[in-house]
Amino acid sequence: MSAQAAPTGVFPTFEQVFQGLAGQIGMLREMAPRPTLSDETRLARAVDTLIEETNADEAVWLESCIHCGQCTTACHYFQATGDAKYAPMRKMNLYRRVYQREISPMRWWFRLVTRPVKLKDFEEAQELVYDSCSECGRCTMVCPMGIDTASLVHHMRSAMVAAELVPPELAALREEQKRQGTVFGSSPEALRKMVDTIRDQYGIDIPLDKDKAEVMVLSSAVDLVANGNGLLATARVMNHVGVDWTICSDGFESANFGLLSGDMSLWKQQVDPIIAAAQRIGAKTLVIAECGHAYPALRWNPMVRSGSLPFEMMYMSEFLGRQAKAGRLRLRPLEGKVTYHDPCKTGRRGGAFDEPRSVLKAMNADFVELPANREYNWCCGGGAGIFLLERATRLRDESFKIKIREVNETGADSVVVSCASCRLNFEAGRQKNHWDKRVDSLVELVADHLIEGPETGAAKAGGAAA
Amino acid sequence: MATDSTLGDMLRSQGVSRRAFLKYCSAMASLLALPAGAATAMADALAGARRPSVIWLSFQECTGCTESLTRSHAPTIEGLLFDFISLDYHHTLQAAAGNAAEHAREQAQHDNAGKYLVLVDGSIPMKEHCSTIAGISNLQMLKEAAADAAAIVNIGTCSAYGGLPMANPNPTGAVAVGDIITDKPIVNVPGCPPMPLAITGVIAHYLTMGELPQLDHLGRPLAFFGENIHDRCYRRPFYDQGKFAETFDDEGARKGWCLYKLGCKAPTTYNACAHIKWNNGVSFPIQSGHGCIGCSEPRFWDALGIYDSVPQGQFGSGAKLGAAALAGAAIGAGAAALARRKKAHHVGEDTTTS
Amino acid sequence: MSLLEFARGPAIHASLILLVGGILLRLLGVLLLTRGADLSRPRDAFGNFKGYRTVFSRAWPSDEFTTATRYQTAVAYAFHLATLAVVIGIVPHIEFITSLTGLSWPGLPNWIGVALGTIALASLIALILRRLGKPAVYNSTVEDFITWVIVALPLITGLMAFAHVGPRYETMLALHILSAALLFAYFPFSKLMHAFWFIFSRAQSGLAYAHKGVRI
Repeated sequence: MSAQAAPTGVFPTFEQVFQGLAGQIGMLREMAPRPTLSDETRLARAVDTLIEETNADEAVWLESCIHCGQCTTACHYFQATGDAKYAPMRKMNLYRRVYQREISPMRWWFRLVTRPVKLKDFEEAQELVYDSCSECGRCTMVCPMGIDTASLVHHMRSAMVAAELVPPELAALREEQKRQGTVFGSSPEALRKMVDTIRDQYGIDIPLDKDKAEVMVLSSAVDLVANGNGLLATARVMNHVGVDWTICSDGFESANFGLLSGDMSLWKQQVDPIIAAAQRIGAKTLVIAECGHAYPALRWNPMVRSGSLPFEMMYMSEFLGRQAKAGRLRLRPLEGKVTYHDPCKTGRRGGAFDEPRSVLKAMNADFVELPANREYNWCCGGGAGIFLLERATRLRDESFKIKIREVNETGADSVVVSCASCRLNFEAGRQKNHWDKRVDSLVELVADHLIEGPETGAAKAGGAAA
Repeated sequence: MATDSTLGDMLRSQGVSRRAFLKYCSAMASLLALPAGAATAMADALAGARRPSVIWLSFQECTGCTESLTRSHAPTIEGLLFDFISLDYHHTLQAAAGNAAEHAREQAQHDNAGKYLVLVDGSIPMKEHCSTIAGISNLQMLKEAAADAAAIVNIGTCSAYGGLPMANPNPTGAVAVGDIITDKPIVNVPGCPPMPLAITGVIAHYLTMGELPQLDHLGRPLAFFGENIHDRCYRRPFYDQGKFAETFDDEGARKGWCLYKLGCKAPTTYNACAHIKWNNGVSFPIQSGHGCIGCSEPRFWDALGIYDSVPQGQFGSGAKLGAAALAGAAIGAGAAALARRKKAHHVGEDTTTS
Repeated sequence: MSLLEFARGPAIHASLILLVGGILLRLLGVLLLTRGADLSRPRDAFGNFKGYRTVFSRAWPSDEFTTATRYQTAVAYAFHLATLAVVIGIVPHIEFITSLTGLSWPGLPNWIGVALGTIALASLIALILRRLGKPAVYNSTVEDFITWVIVALPLITGLMAFAHVGPRYETMLALHILSAALLFAYFPFSKLMHAFWFIFSRAQSGLAYAHKGVRI
């Protein structure tokens, strides 16, 4: 950690953040809501959800699979366990059966030859669509038919929501977010307190709830209740580049447990106030915090006609990359060899490949790519909410060994990630395996390498003039 | 000719040397797939054979089969063998006519009951008035003749399988002998006409071995009908090389390439044409430049056009395929429309739809 | 009516009706379903069409997966190419297609046809052996095996008919045509439809990813 962070110890280290969060996750299971509906209703709702969400795209993908087995080579859960049930193609079997019996042009035939779908089938599929699929999309890269298994798994998660079969941790967080709009006990009040703490302890100003601002920045519950360094770093970077920015207390939460659990209405419910706030303050840019799934939740939200919105949505790494490319970041060189892990949601399924690399380049980093990188990057195994599932610990730990191997192969001293979920999972893997690598968040790394001082003003002026 | 003279006597009186006769018997033994030593035994048996009584019934036929057997330009041993049998009734060849002829038939049936052979050419109309001889319907005459026969030999495709009279729309209700007579041994020697050697071969086998030759599943003697013409055809190498005549007057046709594409039925036709050939081994249809029409096969007249090649599909009208395409499209579109309605029925306010 | 007449007459005719009707039924029944719209702004305003590239690019595995997919790719290519060449290359098949469509082209010599048929059958056997040998990877269903048998039958009967192995030629030819008829009739209702789906499936994914600026 940099000596630049004047007072140390105000916020916990990420190692402590991880341990604290792990304890909280344990409690989530007890908070999980119990099913309230009859089995028949749950089944009917699950099937109805799949009927609703199945369009020609999904139908074609479900029809195309020829069981060639190639997807197994791409899936970290299968590769880590060798267990047949984790083969990506298996994850669509139940969906396909529902499709065949309900929507397919040959449904009359399939109703004769396939078993009726039971709630038990959905119960059995729960592990396949939550625990063992991070919707990372790597299998799509090898599939000769190009089947987008991740999308199909996402629809299955929607059906699981309807069937009240969301795993306890995600169910609890979904409930919390549904009621509070945020998670882990975070709140606008917590945000204000955190802003005050940062101002008091570090003398760094976070413009909260400005009436008008060019850039609206999102935070996330993890930053507010645990990792204060995340928000601190964000604030320092924003102030450094000198943009007109704000955080809105009525739309700050990046995390979206609607997307993670598969609850489409919660997904929308979370996104609407953010978009409303951004419009209200006349933002031109919405910067999404380093929370991987928040990027697709907002930027790639299929329900939001974002082309007609007056602002652009971008991920933190994209924002940093553009600032770096424009020369608005004055950075000290990064020591040691680093590699970069593309989070699935911002990389393969988000397209933000170049910007984080530009940031590392701007830091003159001795940067080395992972053996499988960019579109082919191996998932860390913790995405799409899997990090939160206690039941999935073995799958996570086993699949993370692939990541360890990949990183070790590069010979890098540290891995840069730009996703809280990935980072937590890397941290878990690092601690469990006594791994000698450092894991850094991109925004915190940038904040720690900012050259502050008299030049900053010049840079500011230059940036403003540009 | 008296029935007690032997074939040997007859051949000697016709000036056929023992050498020539042995040669014939060797060829025949080899054709009939008899063991090597059988030729001499066969020659001895044949030479000492008594003349069998034969009744030749001609029903709905064209006399081509008889012509095939009798119109050799020079006397052959086949021809002589044919002369040797006591042909007691053959309304084309016999001198007698009317009641005398019919009487000869009845006499032969009576005198040789259980021993005579019935050779039939022509199919039998089940509409009995369509073909009669001396006021007797073909069906009745066949039944009478067959009643005391030792065996029946069908000469030609008409009697063996119904032949051209049976072709669509089969106005006479023609059937094959085997469709009527089920309690007698029957040998089919099909062909339109059949090969003379195949006819005499069956008779020679019967005379020497005292039994009918081994038959295939269509009742044909395996010795003559065991291999398909394609496999024995001298043009087969061209088939293997992919060299085909495309029309009857193209380069390929002049070079003698394979006639497969011009509808040659040799691959599915079993006969001895390609190796024994016709007119004393002079030629056979394929050698003369026309594809085999498959005349020794059942239903060759209806199964496939003469110039349609063997692997062609019979698709009926293209309209049916068009209708199937339309029906498939309509059902598919209908299924999709119904599915969309089902989706619309379930659709919530927050679902992505176009 | 002989077996051969039945095969190349009513059997093949009925199977073609099922083939044509079934393919259209299944294609339209799926493709005419509602298209889900992605309302989000594409990364590159005119970049989505680049996604169609995936239809072609996915014909070969990317370098990342070359080693892992080598066997499957090589054998599957051998099977598809050899089968295609046999289906459209040998003279009896061309005659069959000509009688259906009126189109015609020069055929291959027999020895090449036999070699290709043998390669096709051998590669098909190699595929099923691997499928049987790695059950966890392939997750085979009953349909996978039924489809294999239905695809293998025309190859086996075709080679047997050519080599005059087994029953007589006309019976073998009839069985060969019947097996082809079975394949035609089965095709639209099975995973063999991937012959069509691959275009749509790849294009959809290509577009969805191109929308986000990702080339797959």
